[in-house]
Amino acid sequence: MVGYVARRLIMAIPVLFGVTLITFLLMHFTAGSYVPGLQLDPNLKPSDIARIRSNLGLDRPVLVQYLDWLGIGAILQQVGLGGLLGGGHNIDTGILEGNFGRSLIDGTPVLTAVLERLPNTIELTATAIVLGAAVSIPVGVVSALRRGGRLDQGLTAISVAGFAVPQFWLGLMLILLFSVTFHAWHLPWLPSSGATSPIGGGGLLDRLEHLVMPAVVLAFFYLSNWSRFVRSSMVETLSQDFVRTARSKGMTERRTVYVHALRNAIAPLVTLVGLELPGLVSGALIIEVVFGWPGIGLLAFQRALQFDFTTVMGITTFAAVLVVAGNLLADMLYAVVDPRVRYA
Amino acid sequence: MTESDRTYDHLLEVRDLHTEFPTRGGRVHAVDGVSFHVDPGETLGIVGESGSGKSVTVLSVMRLLQPPGRIASGHVLYRGRDLASLDNAEMEEIRGADIAMIFQDPMTSFNPVFRSGWQVGEPLRIHRGLHPKEALKEAVGMFVKVGIPEPEKRAVQYPHEMSGGMRQRAMIAMGLTTAPSVLIADEPTTALDVTIQAQILELLQQVSREFGTATILITHNLGVVAGMCQRMMVMYAGRVVEEGPTDEVFAHPTHPYTWSLLRSMPRLDSDSTEPLLAIQGLPPDLTALPSGCAFHPRCPFREERCVQETPALLPVRERQRAACWVTQSGRDLTAGPPPRG
Repeated sequence: MVGYVARRLIMAIPVLFGVTLITFLLMHFTAGSYVPGLQLDPNLKPSDIARIRSNLGLDRPVLVQYLDWLGIGAILQQVGLGGLLGGGHNIDTGILEGNFGRSLIDGTPVLTAVLERLPNTIELTATAIVLGAAVSIPVGVVSALRRGGRLDQGLTAISVAGFAVPQFWLGLMLILLFSVTFHAWHLPWLPSSGATSPIGGGGLLDRLEHLVMPAVVLAFFYLSNWSRFVRSSMVETLSQDFVRTARSKGMTERRTVYVHALRNAIAPLVTLVGLELPGLVSGALIIEVVFGWPGIGLLAFQRALQFDFTTVMGITTFAAVLVVAGNLLADMLYAVVDPRVRYA
Repeated sequence: MTESDRTYDHLLEVRDLHTEFPTRGGRVHAVDGVSFHVDPGETLGIVGESGSGKSVTVLSVMRLLQPPGRIASGHVLYRGRDLASLDNAEMEEIRGADIAMIFQDPMTSFNPVFRSGWQVGEPLRIHRGLHPKEALKEAVGMFVKVGIPEPEKRAVQYPHEMSGGMRQRAMIAMGLTTAPSVLIADEPTTALDVTIQAQILELLQQVSREFGTATILITHNLGVVAGMCQRMMVMYAGRVVEEGPTDEVFAHPTHPYTWSLLRSMPRLDSDSTEPLLAIQGLPPDLTALPSGCAFHPRCPFREERCVQETPALLPVRERQRAACWVTQSGRDLTAGPPPRG
């Protein structure tokens, strides 16, 4: 097991370099040497702008810029090979040393901005994942047991709707109904955006009121996905020989289904849920945007529009690390659920 | 239980059982009027090709048919009580307690995610309400009886950590924990290699002697039947075509299908220059059975009557019954089929 984890971690290294390089190139091709705010400032002369760009290293070849961002330049300088990349620059990042640099917009450290948003994102995504898993398992099982029946067909229709309806639309409709219309009808209404009320907010009830709509929209998506999966997995499991063996021992149908079949049927779900774990930190972008949820997804979205190079790169790196970690965690959990799975 | 107080002829008796599977091509009569019985300490062999209805017959007895398969008519009398008319809760009390079943493939018949001892002790927890610890202790004791070495260690292993032979022993142990009076073994050795097969069969024999269990053994291996069963029953296309004491059926087959099966099997004591005969043709398609006797297209003894009329299962020799026009009219199959022109 230890060897397996070590090998997976080593394999993650090229993945992380690949992800960051591709994101870096994408940012470079869209933003180029654009520095947020500079062009808008009437007090700056073109020569000033050129100097600032040069200070940030933006006039250097793109691959050198990538190496700068990684912090290779700084490391080379420490070992006395500073000249190799051609002089210093000011972008002040060193991912390899854990330094994510500062935002080009407001100058706050990227890591601080990310960690500030993290609790909100975890709150939203964790609620949705737990809600989605808790509902999708019974829904999938019931569908499997009554397959072809009215109930199964109804649940299938709802699941398909969950796939087909865009999250932003569903979010807007909920806002329209529970925030706008309920407010107009003088019914208890739900806040349409944010994680807390701006004035006097922050209490548990206040947070819950803000959480319920985005969490439900996100959970609905997971639910559609996972309940379909549990259904087909359960249908398959119920036709297995060991289910017949269980029945032959005289146990009730309920025990057969919920003890013998269920554990086998939901084992693969662990992997599926594990794939969503990175969402705990990368955030659910669309939902965070629609509900103005101050999470990491919203931050990434806003900063990408503003060409905040360092922040976008920082969030991407952060998310990539967690995708890798989430997958590994899911695979290890799988071994816990299914004793046949052993990693060596 | 007033019914069980009534006197009954046999421990388990199946009368005129019909099992159907509705399919797109029409209703398939997988079991067509099968009757048999077993008594304590006795082993009945059910022989036939794949698709002859052996497994469906015993699954009907256990009421474990996969829907839409269903018992269309007939009776399954256990101690005089008709299992075919019980509701699910009543049937659950019988399954695993009075009638237990051992399945063909010990690899897929164990639940992969639970420890073997836990699964073996499960019938005791369900039927006797034993505490899990007690049930595990009983399971370990049963592992000893079926000859599993290091039983304590095996009981906490998962099925995939055991060999095929070990798993089949554990499966037998699972069937026996509640000391059932009827044990149904559906091809219990097919998935095992030959030396292990012999050990498992010996174990089944020993169990039946020791516990006085009535055993129904399904197999397509005639050698197994010869070694294990006092009585045997041959099935073809969902019907019983011959039944009788095993030694007599082997010595004097009274149905051409049985005769063909015996002729297709190599024997140590026979003249080795005599060619082995393969049975011509293929097993019939149950959705489109031949007219008359279902075996007639493949039968070397075929007469005109066989093509038109279906023979009933009637006594041919003193203790043997067969569904065959040829032998019912008094011909002896041991003389061989008539030459074909």
